[in-house]
Amino acid sequence: MDKAQVRTLDEFLKSIERRALRMSELATANRDEALDLVQDAMFGFVRHYASKPPADWAPLFYRVLDSRLNDWHRRRHVRGRWLAAWMHPADDDEPDAIAQAPDVNDPGPLARLAGGEAAQALDAALAKLPLRQRQAFLLRVWEGFDVAATASAMRCSEGSVKTHLSRALAALRRELEDHA
Amino acid sequence: MNEQPRWTQRARALLDESAQGLDAATLSRLNRARQAALGQSERSTAAWFLPAGLVGACVLLLAVAAWHGRTLPSTGAARVDTPVDAGDADALADDEDMYEDLEFYAWLDAQDQDPQG
Repeated sequence: MDKAQVRTLDEFLKSIERRALRMSELATANRDEALDLVQDAMFGFVRHYASKPPADWAPLFYRVLDSRLNDWHRRRHVRGRWLAAWMHPADDDEPDAIAQAPDVNDPGPLARLAGGEAAQALDAALAKLPLRQRQAFLLRVWEGFDVAATASAMRCSEGSVKTHLSRALAALRRELEDHA
Repeated sequence: MNEQPRWTQRARALLDESAQGLDAATLSRLNRARQAALGQSERSTAAWFLPAGLVGACVLLLAVAAWHGRTLPSTGAARVDTPVDAGDADALADDEDMYEDLEFYAWLDAQDQDPQG
């Protein structure tokens, strides 16, 4: 890898590292663990995907990070995860929640909270979401990925992404309204 | 992206603020993590040189050994006259006696196999 490629890679990683850290922190509720996961994801991404076209880097990086987050959760919550999967089986036929959302002009629950309070409420609500729902929300809403890129990053079907996102939006709305 | 509920835009803005507001120590650790990951790619490139160099050296060594082994008998230098000590001379003499008696040993062997003869 020549210096220009290293510089391009450095700029890319710099552009996503903060969001990756926040994403990991929301998943682990621990900054040190989150930093370790981000570093691990950076190593994995550079090792396996650095030679891919830069346009593909973002979904590929989040695929690595998502894999690390899944591993982290699997190690800690195997029982809970199986139980959650049993209680909430995936349904790939649901429509895209964002595309179908009827209340696009509704200011929503965050509008009723002040800045700092809203941020804390959002963090708390996101932290309560199951991992897959949170990842779907963060990748679709925060990263701005489309359904296909989110599905690629999460290594699941587009239908699953829609399902996870739909449930995430409903749960977040409910949680934030309770908070407000 | 398709049209979104307005409150998700607010959520995105809040998440952006939280990412921008990370403290210096955390940013420093992120920077070190990034540099380590990028350094890994350079190390992995360098790591190829060592085994490749070792393999190359082994191949060269084998090639030289093979060439040397093939050319060794034809060179006069390999044939060095060395003095023969008394023990060696006796052994050689014994060998000559044995070769002279080969016909006798062959006859003796035939007698053993054919007791009627």
